[in-house]
Amino acid sequence: MTLATSAAVDAASGKQPQLVIDNVFKQFGEGPGSVVAIDHMSFNVMPGEFVSVIGPSGCGKSTLFNIIGGLLDEYSGDVLIERERIAGPHKAVGMVFQEESTFPWRNVIDNVAFPLELLGVNKSERLDRAHHFIDLVGLKGFEKLMPSALSGGMRQRVSIARTLVSKPQILLMDEPFAALDEQTRLLLGDKITQIQQDLNQTTLLITHNLTEAVQLSDRIVVMTYRPGKVKRIVDIKLPRPRTSDVVSSDAFGHYVAEIWADLREEATRGMADSESAQRGGSRG
Amino acid sequence: MASPSLAQHRAIPIILGASTVIGVFVVLEVLLRIGVVNKYVVPLPSQVLLALERIIVEENIFGRMRETAYEMVVSCVMVIILGVPIGSLLYRWRSLRQAVLDWVAAMAAAPLVLAFPLFLVMFGRSPTTVIVMSVITGLAPIIIKTTEGLLGVRPVLINVGRSLKLTDWQMFHMILLPAALPTIFSGIRLSWTFVLISVVGIEFLINLGGLGQLINDLSERYDLPGTYGAIGFVILVSVAFFMILERVETWLRPAK
Amino acid sequence: MAATGQVKNPTATMGWARTGRSSMRSTNMIRAGIFFGMAICWEALSRSGLLFRDVVPSLFSIWASIWKLVSSPVFYANLQVTAWEIFASLAIGSGLGIAVGIILGANRFLGAAYEPYVYYLAPTPRIIFFPVMIMWFGVGVASKIALGALSCFFTVALSTAGGMREVDKVLIRVGRSFRATPWQMATKIYLPAMRAPVLNGIRLGFGTATVTCLLAETKLSNQGLGYMIMQIYARFDMPSLYGLLIIVFIIAGVGNLILGKVTGTSA
Repeated sequence: MTLATSAAVDAASGKQPQLVIDNVFKQFGEGPGSVVAIDHMSFNVMPGEFVSVIGPSGCGKSTLFNIIGGLLDEYSGDVLIERERIAGPHKAVGMVFQEESTFPWRNVIDNVAFPLELLGVNKSERLDRAHHFIDLVGLKGFEKLMPSALSGGMRQRVSIARTLVSKPQILLMDEPFAALDEQTRLLLGDKITQIQQDLNQTTLLITHNLTEAVQLSDRIVVMTYRPGKVKRIVDIKLPRPRTSDVVSSDAFGHYVAEIWADLREEATRGMADSESAQRGGSRG
Repeated sequence: MASPSLAQHRAIPIILGASTVIGVFVVLEVLLRIGVVNKYVVPLPSQVLLALERIIVEENIFGRMRETAYEMVVSCVMVIILGVPIGSLLYRWRSLRQAVLDWVAAMAAAPLVLAFPLFLVMFGRSPTTVIVMSVITGLAPIIIKTTEGLLGVRPVLINVGRSLKLTDWQMFHMILLPAALPTIFSGIRLSWTFVLISVVGIEFLINLGGLGQLINDLSERYDLPGTYGAIGFVILVSVAFFMILERVETWLRPAK
Repeated sequence: MAATGQVKNPTATMGWARTGRSSMRSTNMIRAGIFFGMAICWEALSRSGLLFRDVVPSLFSIWASIWKLVSSPVFYANLQVTAWEIFASLAIGSGLGIAVGIILGANRFLGAAYEPYVYYLAPTPRIIFFPVMIMWFGVGVASKIALGALSCFFTVALSTAGGMREVDKVLIRVGRSFRATPWQMATKIYLPAMRAPVLNGIRLGFGTATVTCLLAETKLSNQGLGYMIMQIYARFDMPSLYGLLIIVFIIAGVGNLILGKVTGTSA
């Protein structure tokens, strides 16, 4: 499905997109040494939708994440949330980072309640809401533990709970499961799907993991290798509600194969690039 | 391997060390009694132990400890009140940091305590001199470690703060400072160690205050067992202080 | 970090290397600005009469006194005495320190038994041992050398022991696999591997010995720079007091720098 058709479908359904990426362009540096990370990307995310952006390493995905999250200010084009151009981190966006981001000096429940602390919510309500989301991510009983006592997967769940507790309208995640093993990833994927369905949470997931993207998403935006452009947008018409069992279905396999065909071309270009950089040896 | 024997294994060196120390004192006692070592230069260890009791009773040891403790507490608090903010400023302003940090490092290595006669002139023979001198000696490590700790905060934690739109002050006291605390405390440990050495040392040099002065007094009275006893006592106190600081630093470390 | 240890050079670990040339220039300008700003405040304070007498003497009088000191034979006589004390302290303290450090570092058992004593006795106010040293060695330079040696012994011993333990176990096994004799092991493997930590320990020991000898001189002495400081203090000759202190700090700093260059270690 092309970009044009996708937009037409959105228009036809009459719903307004919650998040609009409009012609975003980002270049690092100037002149001969400059690198174009994102080359005029455009796509939408509708309310309640789960969209993944997938691309090979080095394609500019993290740059896109930082721009949408408002952490990167200098770019051309627009990022619109509820038709408002963003300026800095938008309060409707909750970000989950790739790296370990729990506060090591706070226990689980104090970590999760942190955004509510900032909003001035009173203590008992803070703890109530924090408990709710700790349960939601399956960490009931671990509230008083310090992050150092938890596994990597559990800590990532704490980060997710912490982001969800402030009920962001848009959940923005950058390869949150990258550091986890496959089984943990599949099970956490289940959790995320379940949460997203329960809360009807609009989600934008940046990932390099193909099976993860197909498992979790309603639509997948395939990025080219640097400079990053939208290569294709694929509708994932797998049934909802979904579980990790879906990975064994035929339809799943078809989607993966279809997207891999696109992705492989870009990944190959990426590999060739890094190989020649290594062979080239000395600094440019 | 059964655990009792493993524990035995680890205890043996400790026992060896302790018994060597005791053994040395016993040998010394013997050598002194038979006249091989001059009794007017080295007192009998047994007499030193007796002197300790005498000192505690007669020399108002607790009053003296209070004096020294007062100077210590004021210096230790001042050194944090001054050092952490200065270190934070250097973290904040890169140009200032690049200009000044080398100077601070030089200060950390310099024999600053030699300047005590200057402060004697300014403040007279008073606890203020001891405190000012000790604060100057202990300032540099805290400044350096505060800056280092703040610079070492993982970028993702800062990004979490930015994504939650924290104000500068919120970012500083809710994320930066707690994240940097283990490093800052190792600076505090180093600094407070210097402060202790400086406080007792200056007390000794200018003959004022608490424990340092005690040693001075006793040595001027040619009270040999007393002098040795007092020196031993002060050394034990400072070793205990250092051990406590170490314990606290290790306790802070696991917050990784 | 050693108990009496130094704080590692912060600029080295904080990406100073990325400084470009224009940034270097602005750094130097800031430094010059701070330096001159402080100098002007000092001079203003000195002339204002706000502070008691000569507590903040004019920079010019300090400068004049520095010249006077540096051109007086008395200064050099005292400098010689102090220098000799420091040198002797360092030699004795390092010698003993290296020997003990090697033993404690090489033998795990002995290290476990005795090194804690060295480690925990290091960060103590060792100047309070001075009365004992006086009783043992008299009031002359010997007592100061003894105290200085005691001070830098700890620093060198701990650096050496640490260095011994750090010697790459692999290198030791390589030596053994070639059936090297103990002498060969010592000279061809341990010595080169130990060079850096031992020399660094000696450089740190120099700092400790310097402070200790000078402080001891201020307490009880009739020679040396420390003695000179107290004489000037007794005369209430403030410009000279500042002057001599500045000279002593410069000498100590330069000594540290030279030792750093010579031994290949840095602050």
